[in-house]
Amino acid sequence: MPTDTKRVRGPDVSQSPVLLGYKPAAVLASRGPREDGRQRDQVDVRPVFVRCGLVSQAKGSAYIEAGNTKLISCVYGPRETDRKDETDMKSGRLTTDVRFAPFSCPERVPWIQGSQDKDLSLMLHESLQPAVCLQRYPRSQIDVSVMVLENSGSALAHAVTCASLALADAGIEMYDLVLGCSLQQVGSSYVVDPSYLEENGWRCNSSESRGGLTVAFLPSLNQISGLQSDGEMSEETLTAGVRTCIEGCYKLYPVIQKVLTKAVRRAAPPST
Amino acid sequence: MATVQVSEAEKVYILHGIRDDLRVDGRGCEDYRHMEIETDVVSNTDGSAKVTLGHTAVLVGVKAEIGKPRPMIPNEGYLEFFVDCSANATPEFEGRGGEELGTNLSNVLYKVFSNKHSLDLHSLSISPGEHCWVLYVDVLLLQCDGNLYDAISIAIKAALFNTKIPRVNITSDDEGGKEIELSDDPYDCMRVNVENVPCIVTLCKVGHRHVVDATLQEKACSVASLIIAVTHNGTITCSRKVGGGSLDPESIFEMTETGKRVGKALHAPLMKLLQQEESLSKKRVRVGFLC
Amino acid sequence: MAAGFKTAEPLEYHRSFLKENCRPDGRELSEFRSTTLNIGSISTADGSALVKLGNTTIICGIKAELTNPTVDAPGKGYIVPNVDLPPLCSSRFRPGPPGEQAQAASQFIADIIESSEVIKKEDLCIGRGKLCWVLYCDIMCLDYDGNILDACVVALLAALKTTQLPEVTINKETSAPEVNFEKKHKLNIHRHPVSVSFCIFDDSILIVDPTAEEESLSTARLTVVMDEEDQLCSLHKPGGTPLSGEKLQECIKRATARKGEIHKLIEKVIKSMKTAQ
Repeated sequence: MPTDTKRVRGPDVSQSPVLLGYKPAAVLASRGPREDGRQRDQVDVRPVFVRCGLVSQAKGSAYIEAGNTKLISCVYGPRETDRKDETDMKSGRLTTDVRFAPFSCPERVPWIQGSQDKDLSLMLHESLQPAVCLQRYPRSQIDVSVMVLENSGSALAHAVTCASLALADAGIEMYDLVLGCSLQQVGSSYVVDPSYLEENGWRCNSSESRGGLTVAFLPSLNQISGLQSDGEMSEETLTAGVRTCIEGCYKLYPVIQKVLTKAVRRAAPPST
Repeated sequence: MATVQVSEAEKVYILHGIRDDLRVDGRGCEDYRHMEIETDVVSNTDGSAKVTLGHTAVLVGVKAEIGKPRPMIPNEGYLEFFVDCSANATPEFEGRGGEELGTNLSNVLYKVFSNKHSLDLHSLSISPGEHCWVLYVDVLLLQCDGNLYDAISIAIKAALFNTKIPRVNITSDDEGGKEIELSDDPYDCMRVNVENVPCIVTLCKVGHRHVVDATLQEKACSVASLIIAVTHNGTITCSRKVGGGSLDPESIFEMTETGKRVGKALHAPLMKLLQQEESLSKKRVRVGFLC
Repeated sequence: MAAGFKTAEPLEYHRSFLKENCRPDGRELSEFRSTTLNIGSISTADGSALVKLGNTTIICGIKAELTNPTVDAPGKGYIVPNVDLPPLCSSRFRPGPPGEQAQAASQFIADIIESSEVIKKEDLCIGRGKLCWVLYCDIMCLDYDGNILDACVVALLAALKTTQLPEVTINKETSAPEVNFEKKHKLNIHRHPVSVSFCIFDDSILIVDPTAEEESLSTARLTVVMDEEDQLCSLHKPGGTPLSGEKLQECIKRATARKGEIHKLIEKVIKSMKTAQ
């Protein structure tokens, strides 16, 4: 464990009281309505609250709130690239950074980035890259950072949506928006846009096979730019899951479009 | 990742070949290159395997150590993955160059094994909440010639098959304190059941088709690949799109179908081979690294 | 024309305003930007607050965990404040470990907690020498437009005021801690420090609550921290041009007035939260 000399340090080990207390409702029912009243086996995504251009310093920014999941994303650039040694200077470079605020999860997240954050950053990068016209920005880089303020499930999916919206808000040329949707399969039933408990509850119990799936989708080009699944799924459930997630993305599409139009209107009011 | 420069003319040649199900090296779209597997190659590990696939060479070592179980799952052991991209494999890995790729690969491996059936983690428990076996799976890339994921997953399965964990007894003294005793007999050991360990199949989208086990040249012609981890009964434990491009949903479905078929077919011959090698025991000729 | 002037000669641009005793954003010299406060918005934290000071946005989340007290201070818990300036909040910050400014801010907040005794560390002890709370106060900047210190202190104070800890008892037989999530109690806040920052322009002109641009153009900075009993908790002036005692008195006077406003704001927001429930 590397010692962190650049921060105020606390005790070497500490334990979250959540681990000591008994776990209420850790047993997740795989039947019946979901904890937050949404429908199982249906494309029942949480209603989202989305805003553009909240951060004054950034070129573009977006904030998304779905249930208790809260994310903020900022875009800086295009600016001169940091890495001059890259051979391919004909197209721009996209960098992504996903971070969880220390207080964003039930258990405290340490400041030093774990491999999970890096993995999410990579997934976000792969999901966004096909949508950005990077060849329009030679010798420059565009930095996308996402901060998860509160993680109540489906963080990656919402990070993708939020980041693509921030890119659009920054006026970066894109082929399409990127929307994210995730799904959790438990036995033969599934839940769309799972909450934190639905995502992680399986670790403690249930002998049923389960799997998680996140899809990033370009709605008007009908292309999948990001796909990730883990857990156990048959080919049929995976295929069905991908279709369901696409449907979930289409549900999100009009909301995101409306927010973007609103942001553009505000930035450049129509001359009457 | 290791890359090669391919000229436009070469690209067209590769693309047209694949369209007609004939690849540059004479393979069909769903064929693997020549593969060699050798287990028990590193004597100071508890299990090891070396896999060469075309010119790609991977060495996997498994070390079992006694550790503390994770607080949320007290009655299970766990796996730790580390992928080392040696500068031997390609000059691009020199310095910190291979670090990023290494983390990416190990992250995928964690995902592949993050389910209840890939490996029986309960069998790695020694005493719940106190001690368990931790299997450190170290992957060393010796040479890169495309399709790292598949080679690594096969090497891991072979190394886990080869892994021998010493048997332990727990004795408790009068004061309730527990003591762990290692078995004296070196042949008295526990094996890991690798039946459900998945193999990864990487499908590279080239033109309108997809190919299995792409070489670096073929990879340079493709914008996106799909990796799928498949168990012997066809369960998919991980799938992921890699690369900078996007794929349309229909081709993802086709690729999943191919991946499942190819992956499922990989397991039986692999297990047969591993058992065969094991049965040779002392008679077997060790090839080692000088091949 | 004005925009060109602003980019080409930012200092002259600001001076031309200051000459008329006002600032480019329309404020007077001793006027704060509008301050808004939102509490309890992060449900995964034990206490949280979001503060907006003009464009500057700061979020603070408190996470309480259990640990063993140190041998030197067996009857005390820990408070671990950290300020983070992620690359998200401004183009001037890069990814990686915290930079100089973030480190200085963390230390500043730690010093305030230490010197003003916002919370008595003894209150965080559960079993002497055995078990205590550690309060991780993670403060994060989401939009950097100057004067983060003042916003950080408000966010920290408001977050601490809303923090609720579950009751923890040590089982006498097994000597293992037991947590009762049903019974929660608030933290005892002993002092309510409020920080007020100033910038000095051209060695003489004093402005309060500087924006990021004003900060970078100024010749010196000064931060005064004061609690509810008009006691000075901290005075921070990292280098820059000297300041007369007279001017310092002026700053302290401004801080006294500001402290009242902030206390009123926090009380009001907490009250409105209670009535909303």
